[in-house]
Amino acid sequence: MILTGILLAVVGLGLVGWFVGRGRARLLYDGRGSMHSMPTYHGWHLALWIVVPALVVWTAWSAIQPGLVEGALMADPVAATLPADAMHRSAILAEAHMLANDPGASVFNAQSQALAAPLRAIVTRFSLIGALLVAIVAFAGGAYGFTRIRARFEARTQVERAVMGVLLLASLIAILTTFGIVASLVFEAGLFFKDVSPIAFLTGTHWSPGNARGADIAENFGAVPLFWGTIYIGAIIAMLVAIPLGLMSAVYLTQYASRSMRKWLKPILEILAGIPTVVYGYFAALTVAPLVRDFAASIGMQNPSTESALAAGLVMGVMIIPFVSSMADDALAAVPRAMSDGSLALGATRSETIKKVLLPAALPGIVAGVMLAISRAIGETMIVVMAAGAAANLSANPFASMTTVTFQIVQLLTGDQEFNSPKTLSAFALGLILFIVTLVLNIIALRVVKRFREAYE
Amino acid sequence: MSNPQWQTPEARRRLARRHASERRFKALGLGAIVLSMAFLVLLLVIMLKNGLGGLDWSFLTGSDSTSPDMAGVWGAAKGSLLTMFVTLVLAFPMGVLAAIYLEEFAPKNKWIDLVEVSINNLAAVPSIIFGLLGLAVFINTLHLPRSSPVVGGLTLALMTMPVIVISGRNAIKAVPPSIREAAYGIGASKVQTTFHHVLPLALPGILTGTIIGMARALGETAPLLMIGMRAFVATPPGGITDPSSVLPMQIFLWSDEIDKGFVQNTSAAIIVLLVFLLAMNGLAIYLRNKFEVRW
Repeated sequence: MILTGILLAVVGLGLVGWFVGRGRARLLYDGRGSMHSMPTYHGWHLALWIVVPALVVWTAWSAIQPGLVEGALMADPVAATLPADAMHRSAILAEAHMLANDPGASVFNAQSQALAAPLRAIVTRFSLIGALLVAIVAFAGGAYGFTRIRARFEARTQVERAVMGVLLLASLIAILTTFGIVASLVFEAGLFFKDVSPIAFLTGTHWSPGNARGADIAENFGAVPLFWGTIYIGAIIAMLVAIPLGLMSAVYLTQYASRSMRKWLKPILEILAGIPTVVYGYFAALTVAPLVRDFAASIGMQNPSTESALAAGLVMGVMIIPFVSSMADDALAAVPRAMSDGSLALGATRSETIKKVLLPAALPGIVAGVMLAISRAIGETMIVVMAAGAAANLSANPFASMTTVTFQIVQLLTGDQEFNSPKTLSAFALGLILFIVTLVLNIIALRVVKRFREAYE
Repeated sequence: MSNPQWQTPEARRRLARRHASERRFKALGLGAIVLSMAFLVLLLVIMLKNGLGGLDWSFLTGSDSTSPDMAGVWGAAKGSLLTMFVTLVLAFPMGVLAAIYLEEFAPKNKWIDLVEVSINNLAAVPSIIFGLLGLAVFINTLHLPRSSPVVGGLTLALMTMPVIVISGRNAIKAVPPSIREAAYGIGASKVQTTFHHVLPLALPGILTGTIIGMARALGETAPLLMIGMRAFVATPPGGITDPSSVLPMQIFLWSDEIDKGFVQNTSAAIIVLLVFLLAMNGLAIYLRNKFEVRW
């Protein structure tokens, strides 16, 4: 609590510093060209000198304070009565912290009542020490900043340097995120591969992590059925829907539709891309899956399941249509107009021009778009979670229940099991594979698109 | 030569065939669009038919419950609002600052190339991977409270930031160099030019991209599933560290219920979510049309 108060106080001090710095600098002004920087920059400079060092100290102190409090509490005579059992001990300590923050809180262990009062005293003591430290640093920084206010002082240059630092930090977050993804996936997957060899994981055809126990653990982690299900649903069924529909929509929109028609049709098509995947999943489970099952029954299948690869793939395909369409749109638009004009001038009809000239010329861009679409489809989660099923089948029957990588990640990580079992770790191994595959697809596709654009520019 | 080669019956037939094929092709294109839109209409009609009956005041103000008649969306909607707040507060400033740096100040070197590559890739990484990151870093390493809007918001912020950076860069790129040169000409520094002139002109474009990114985050379920935002929450969350649910998660949880009454609830919640999304996208389009300057 006190720490939050300090933070606000520092910001307040910074605001005061801003006005003081600006006011002081204004007094220095005597005539045109007498100062290097505008008074506002002196204000910013002073405010930065107050806030930044104080914030650094504040962050450091909030990081070390819990440890210091813990140490002081253990030295207190009341702490001697704590049980030795680590779990019980930490439960009591947590409750004591709760009580110290809010005396009215309800707790289970009576011992925590005894600890609350000394704990509150200790926390207050250390918070006050922290507040004092922060205040000293803020005033020291402020004093130093204040002494630098001179007519010739280059406050603007200094402030702009600080701004550049902030900008650079912001752009490094993207790298940090990528690094965080790779590090966490590789680390957890590494733990998993200690138990299960990567070869067994990548080539095994039996997947039932629920049975994985003891010596034959590796035999239950064969991920091939998951890869097959992912490819079958995301890259085959979904693409059979999305490529023809998306491509033909793009052709019609770019080549045939009048300007006003295009203005209306394109945004409506894009609504399809804006619908949340959980809605598609529900649509698939509620409407499409029963239709598919009835159809399967009507063509003579025995006991068709409600959860089928076809239902999930069809709906996923619909979701991808606008994506394929807009990629194809871009690719067609990148083909120079002279090429289609030349073909039309030779007497070819529009459709002949499209089929023989435009589409072949735009092919690299379209292929790249399809690759991006596939990468999006195989990473899609909610539709398959709600419509595809949990059974790891290696089958080419579209009416069979099939499972995917993303489905299994969700399955393995929701529910309460201990975090470090091979079962939960295998989800990270699956995530790593998914990440690598989508990354490769994206990089290749982006490179193709780039080269293709350059070729026509 | 009263009967030139292109007027022979055979040539006429061939021409007719080519025109027929032309018409077929055109109809095929129109058919593709109509079919795609038929899916959209079918989806909306089914949701409206199932859900409209369940939309009443007690549904809009209630929280989750085990009985379908008592259950409402306000708890989840409040969770969504809190999560979106965290996402916006983190992703918007970071995204805009990163876009400014990359577009206006970044030197050409390997590090910056690496930043660009990672931003472009992050925009295309499956959302569930961000969920795995959130689980491993925010929950298992930093021990932030499970299933709270703060963790959800952090995770979605990492996902939304690349979208904001990319649209921000495009908006900044669209500001013509003459604006910058005019500012330099009257003695502005590079930082002053960027913040006083380029950024205000690029802001409508950046805001449009931000709203679109936020709309995507609002509909996202998979990463939140990973960080455990699927708890049964019978009271609306009071703050960003309380356990909570979000709208799409509520839809997912209800869709799993066996009780028939939840079909209506699920569809009604979907209508609420779609109305939110439509409003956000409408706002984005309005902003784009109203403030976009064609240079």
